[in-house]
Amino acid sequence: MEVKDILDQSVIDLKMNVSDKHSAIEHLSQLLYQAGYLSDLSGYIKDVYVRESEGITGMGNHIAIPHGKSNFVKKVGIAIGKSEKMVEWESYDDQPVNYIFLFAVPSDNENAKVHLKLLAELASKLGNDSIMKKLEHCTHFEELEEVFST
Amino acid sequence: MKIVAITACIAGIAHTYIAKEKLETAARELGDEIKVETQGSIGVENELSSEDIRDADVVIIAADIGIAKNRFKGKPIVEIPISLVMKSAKGVINKTREKLEKVEK
Repeated sequence: MEVKDILDQSVIDLKMNVSDKHSAIEHLSQLLYQAGYLSDLSGYIKDVYVRESEGITGMGNHIAIPHGKSNFVKKVGIAIGKSEKMVEWESYDDQPVNYIFLFAVPSDNENAKVHLKLLAELASKLGNDSIMKKLEHCTHFEELEEVFST
Repeated sequence: MKIVAITACIAGIAHTYIAKEKLETAARELGDEIKVETQGSIGVENELSSEDIRDADVVIIAADIGIAKNRFKGKPIVEIPISLVMKSAKGVINKTREKLEKVEK
């Protein structure tokens, strides 16, 4: 399996219409829930905020990577949202964000090693400035797939 | 400068791996050699061998959790929160170089 195999079109919204951090997390969590990744929507969101309280998830370059390690996650996944507007977010460069990668990871991840490894690979790509620049220009799922295939 | 590093964050899901990438890129651009071990939710990856450690000039530990240090005995160690790498990986490596030069003088 490759990184792009973890991308799931049903939990990716590149024309996200949200006004703030909370509505962004809620919208992406909702997508995860509808696609069967979560057993409990509000329980999961609560766990995402637990992680938010532990430290900054705004990476700089207008990217945020909130993540919930939660009992309410049924399978490993990542929801991706690109917002039309910039959204206020605590970040390392004090800038707002418009790209949000919401990780869903089960608390008990013994059986999820393969997917977690893909998630880790995807995360490492988010640390690469040239990949970040390419992401900025993605407007379709296929383009996103392409970026993460390189 | 030859660097060995460890990255580890609280959840072990994202920051650990982003920080690795950032350190590697910064070291490459500054002309330093680096090997980064990640300690995350999938366990230890890219593990530092005893040879890696022996040949290194310095150890950077960028972690928000406790990391065992006994295998680095006798090596200069720079310990920082992972956020410093996220903010400026190049800054971390430059600072490390400065510290090392001071120690050597």
